[in-house]
Parts: sequence; structure tokens; C-alpha cells
Amino acid sequence: MTGPMQGLRILEVGDLGEVAGKLLADAGADLILVEPPAGARSRRTGPFVEDLPTREGSLHYAYLNTNKRGVTLDLSQPDGQDLWRRLVAQTDIVIDGAGLEVLDGFGLGYDAFSEAEHLIWCSITPFGRTGPWRHRPTSDLISMALGGIVMMCGYDDHSLPPVRPEGEHSRYIAGEYAVVGILAALWQRVQLGLGQLVDVSMHEAISSTTEGAYMNWEYLGRNPERQTGRHAGTAERWQLLCADGKYAVLFGGGVPRAKKALQGLLAWMDEYDAAADLHDPKYEQLLHIRPAEGGELRKHFADTVAGFVGNRPMEEVYRRGQEIGMPWGPVRLPEENLDDPHWADRDFWVTASVAGHPELVRYPRAGYRMGQTPIEFRTPAPALGEHNAAVFINELGVTSDELARLQERGVV
Amino acid sequence: MTSDKPAAPLPLEGVRVCDFTWIIAGPQATRIFADLGAEVIKVENESYLDAVRGSAGLHNNFHRNKQGITANIHHPKGREVVERLIAKSDIVIENYSSGAFARMGFPYQRLKELREDIIYVSLSGFGHEGRDADYATWGPTAQGVSGMTAVSGLEDQPPAGWGYSYLDHTAGFYAAIGAMMALWHRRQTGEGQHLDMAQVETGMVLAGVPMLDFQVNGRHYERIGNGSRWPAVAPHGIYPTADEDRWIAIATETDEHWAVLCEVLERPELATEPRFASNEVRFQAREALDAALGRLTARFDADSLAAALSERGVPAGACQTIEDRMEHDPQLAARGFYPTAEHPELGMHRFEGLPMHFSRARWRIDRGAPVLGEDTRTVLRDLLGYDEREIAEMTAEAAI
Repeated sequence: MTGPMQGLRILEVGDLGEVAGKLLADAGADLILVEPPAGARSRRTGPFVEDLPTREGSLHYAYLNTNKRGVTLDLSQPDGQDLWRRLVAQTDIVIDGAGLEVLDGFGLGYDAFSEAEHLIWCSITPFGRTGPWRHRPTSDLISMALGGIVMMCGYDDHSLPPVRPEGEHSRYIAGEYAVVGILAALWQRVQLGLGQLVDVSMHEAISSTTEGAYMNWEYLGRNPERQTGRHAGTAERWQLLCADGKYAVLFGGGVPRAKKALQGLLAWMDEYDAAADLHDPKYEQLLHIRPAEGGELRKHFADTVAGFVGNRPMEEVYRRGQEIGMPWGPVRLPEENLDDPHWADRDFWVTASVAGHPELVRYPRAGYRMGQTPIEFRTPAPALGEHNAAVFINELGVTSDELARLQERGVV
Repeated sequence: MTSDKPAAPLPLEGVRVCDFTWIIAGPQATRIFADLGAEVIKVENESYLDAVRGSAGLHNNFHRNKQGITANIHHPKGREVVERLIAKSDIVIENYSSGAFARMGFPYQRLKELREDIIYVSLSGFGHEGRDADYATWGPTAQGVSGMTAVSGLEDQPPAGWGYSYLDHTAGFYAAIGAMMALWHRRQTGEGQHLDMAQVETGMVLAGVPMLDFQVNGRHYERIGNGSRWPAVAPHGIYPTADEDRWIAIATETDEHWAVLCEVLERPELATEPRFASNEVRFQAREALDAALGRLTARFDADSLAAALSERGVPAGACQTIEDRMEHDPQLAARGFYPTAEHPELGMHRFEGLPMHFSRARWRIDRGAPVLGEDTRTVLRDLLGYDEREIAEMTAEAAI
């Protein structure tokens, strides 16, 4: 059994197509990544195996290109362009993340294939294919700033700059929305018999991923103010330092919303003689009033809980908190989840190889756990040109002599 | 309002979603379906009201284009309404705590009895299976667990994390994608399925690279503020400008960018100063460099500095507020990103659009979120086959 998208043929070109391509390839589509003969930019993005920036050593490339096949093609040469046209003729979907200048610049973009009526062509660009900013230079930092995420993240102290959350999220957000667009176009193709161009704007994708910001401005006429480790605009501290130097998130400021949770919390604090005056029935009214109306009573309660939490290790705060019904969390590093048995219970990890490393490693499987069409790991990210022969000879009918000549001339 | 050609069809027209979502993560998923033309029917009741209704604007944004009905599942007739709706739906989606929907009488098995090929999406913090399935999350909890909070912040400060529930969006995106993939699979095979989604997992899939880095290189992530780790380039950061709490992001990736930056900042001689002359030395001295740059950028207006740099090819941009985006961003305006629609109580408002244009389709912002029970009568009569008398009776009995 393979994933839900098996049977679909996809071509992917360019940096910004990588996330969308991964999601569809992991789901079973036959996806061919088309790289320039010198290799995709992703291969030059760290981290690298043993910190050596080799062509096959990028872990960034390794993660974002699982389950894809890979060919090389110089799209600036006429023979490369010919092969590209032949590849497109055999494909359902093209993911174009190369920027407005590349495929369109060579006359190899969507417009060149308007006769291929079934074709779905997803263009992922920083700002969209139209509008005054469409050629503006950008990067993850700039896109996250323009899209509004940066201004919502940072510290209470506004003399410190706002913070761009780490992790190339601009690419993920745009890539996720691109898959939405592709799947919608695919669904519509069944009804219409026609494919189409899907023009995804990363700037818009980020701009629609800032939760309460829109409400604050459109309805209340204010800009939310960034704060340390919690929602912009929230009055209470959520992020507390535990006894082992790690942080925990006490969502809701540490004040229970249900009687059972309050009792559990007090019983736990009693084990350490730390409940102070919190057994006083007057604190029960906190269960029924809104946080903003809690005043001194709520503040004292929260401060006492914070003092208690500061004397317990983070993992205990997290687990005991959850067990008594509080939605509390640890502030873990991503890799700390590798040791949490809950994810193994769910078969979340895929154990597989990564190029240049002798041992198997665990990859996150997928964001959805599908009962009938589980997301499987078929192949690691392709080596540069790994499938040139399989694709060009077996599927396009290029002879092995021709392929050798194309290789000599740097076309593939 | 439409994103593109008014006459174009809606891609998901004909798909029906029975929507038991609340707060944000689930509603984000069904919002995507509704924007794309699916018939999304949100079911509520006084005993399981959407907690976000208290934030009317937020609720309006996440439930636009949806229909809303009330049905009391604790009343036999109310339950029958829900069961008839499920039998006529392609997808049932909920984001209650793990197990809650089953306790309401709707385990997957029951959904399948009502409709054999149903696609059931459950979205909880830790999923329905696994030893911690009973743990609960809100966005900030899931961000803490998955590692997204810890890695974000300045080097010498505590984690800054995220100033909102980013993972509510992300979980919603993956739920929508998963449901659409399941629809595709059902079309090929006739087979429905259950998607057991965990919000924390949708955060962990965004952290695959650091997880590989740890396993291969033993590297633990340290916060790097607004710097760039890969490639290791400088200057790369967020700097003050002339106005209070107004910041500019600048990402120089080459020596050329650096030279242009020095020129635009009216200090061309800095570009060739030995301590800043190559990326390598700049990266080593990035702290001193950032401090020096901040003193220079503080003399400029953010938007004109960003424009001057962008025009010459240096990636730069103001740290935009929501006010900037909705009132002054020429790109979002040109793309029609904030169309308007009416809500019965809140009136006409702008909405965030869907971030894409289709050449043969459109998305929509047709209406605001439903007020409680706004579409009960229409849905019961036109879709579920109740007559006016039955509807009146059920209303009197508080079944709906």
C-alpha cells in the first residue's frame, strides 16, 4: 500500500517548490525533481553531514526531497528545453518554484503549454505573478517581516528587536498552501476536464497566517504588541523557568479553569508543602470569572503557582500538569521529541538512511496519520542526476549514446 | 467577491463537510474548504458552543462562507438531525479533545454506519492513539512541545516563541490537505478513512531538518535571533529606524549587497573597511556590525530605506504590522487580498483572502460567519428533508 496520491506524475523545479513537492511525493505521487546540472540551491543549504558542504551532504536537501526522483537539465540550452517540453507532455502537475525569470524567461512556462489542457501548473513565488512587488528581492527573513509574523513575535522589552521565528517557515506556509491549490485544481479537473494555472503568493500565504492580528485591526483598530513567550496582548506570563533551567509553557497563566484541575493542582503542591494559602475557598471564584477580571486574587494565585513550578523540573511540570487536566507544555528542543515514546506509539518516525551517514536516522513521517493510505518512506532524496537514465532513456526514449552526448555538453 | 474571474467555478463545489470544529485549528481547515466552494455546515449547540464566538471578529474570519445550524445531540430528534447530516456529508471533521466526539456518540464506527465511505478527520493535540492521547493542547502548548518555541529568540534571551497560535493555522492546513488527499483516494477506490491527526505532529514535521542535524551531527539548536545560520552571512537582521518601534529587516547575501547597503546608508567607506571587508569577517564580527548598523538605520524611515535597498537588489523590508498590511501594502491591495462581505450583526467587513489566484476557478468570500443557528431551518428543510411542522416541533422541544 502506498499513499493517496499514487498514480499522479509531477515535475518540480526551483527552490520554492520543494515543500509542496515533498508533501505530494511523500503521499505517493511520482515526482521528478528537475535540477540544473550544478545541483539545486537546496544542496548548498546547510546543515551538512559532518559539516562538510558536499553536493550530497545537505540535510536540508535530504529532508525536503524524500520520495522524489531526480534528473538534471540545463534549461538554457535548446536540447535541455526540448527534454523539458517532452517531460511536461507526460505530466499531470508542474510545480514551478524557480521564480518569474527562469521558466517564463526561457519561454518554458505555463503559457508555452496552453494546448495541454489537462495540465495543472502551480507557480509559487514570493509575491505572486502580478502586482507592483512581483520582482522584489526577498528571503525568509524579509518575507516573514513583510507578511507580519515578525512584528508579533519578540519580547516585552520593545527596545529589543522583534524576532523572526526560526525554521524557514515562509517556505512551509507557501508550500502548504500550494498543495491546497494543487489539490483543489485536481478536484476541479475531474469536473471540468481542464487543468489550470495556480498562482500562489508567499506574501499572501504568510499574511493569512497571523491569527488574531486581523481581528485586532479590522474590528478594534489596534496593532497587537509582541510579548515574551506568549500571545501578543495577553496579560499573564505563560513561559516559566523550571528548576532544571528549562522552560515550561503554562497556558492560561497557571490558573485552572475547572474544579477538578484546581483540586489536582493543590494536591500536587501539597506533596511539596507548597500550596500556601491557595486552599482558601475564595480562590474557587477564579474558576468562574474571566482572566481580565481576576485582579489581585488571580495574580497571587498565578505567582504562587509560578514559585512552585520554579522548584520542579520541566518534565514533571509538563506531565503532572497534563495529568491534572492543565494544557501545559514543555519548551523542548525539536530533537527532544525523539525520546518521547508517545510518538513511537503512533508510528510517527520513519527509520531510513541519509546520504553520507553510516547509521539509519528517524524522519518525521507526516502531518496526517491516514488510516487507509499511510504515508510511507519509499526512497531517500535523490543523488544529483540519479534518475537521468531511468527517465530520459526508459521514459522519453533518448538513446544511451544521446544521453552520453547530452552529458558531455552539460545539458544533463 | 472573487479572487479572479467572477464567472469561474468554485473548485470544491459539490463537496459537503459536516463541521464540528471550534476555536481555531479545526475552523482553519474547514475555512479552506468553504473558501474553495465546499458546502460547509457547522453544527453547534448551547452545550458545545464555539468558545471563539466571544471574539466576534476572529470567529467571523474563520467561519466566513460556512452555514451554521444548531442541533442538540442530547435530544433524540437533535441527534437524528446530526445523523442525517453525516449521512449526506463527504467529510466529518472535529477538533475536540481526544475521545470527546466518541463520547458524544460518534466514534468512527458509528460514522461509518451512517455513511460507509465517510472521511473522518479528528484533530487533537496528541492524536487519538498513543500513551499521551489524553493530553490537551492549545497552540502555545503544541509549539512548546514540538520545539518551535525553544528555537525562536535572541541569543542571550529566553525563548521569544511565537506571539500567537501559529500551529493552529498549521494543523488546519494539514487537516485540509489530508482531507483533500483522502477525497482523492476515495474517488479512485470508493474507500473512506479516518485521519487521526495530532497538532504537535504538524509542528514536528516543520522541524525535520534540526532533527536530522541532531542525529547525524549531534548538534543541539541554539537561538540565533534574526541571523542566518545557513548560509552563514552577515549582516542579516532586524534594525531600528527613525520611528518608535519601527523596524527594518535586511538580509545581505553577497559582498555586492553589502556594498550597496553601505552606499544607501551613506557610509560607502564602511564596505571596504578591513573588519567588514569579507563575509567571513563580517560574520565573525556580526554583533559589533549589527550594533553599528543599527545606529545608521536609525536615521532613516523604514519604508524608504527598504525601497531604496530593494530597488538595488538587496532583500529588505519593513516589519509590517497588520495596519501596514491592511492599509498601506500595495501588493496585497493590487492582488485583491482583502475582499469584503457582510455579517448579519457585525456588518460589512474586510476578510483575509486565500493566497492564490486560479486561471479557471475562483475562491469566494460570499458571506460572514453564521450567527448561531442562522441556517438551521434552510438546511433541515432543503437538505435533510424535514417539513415546516417538524422543524417547528423540534424548535419547541429544544432539539434544534
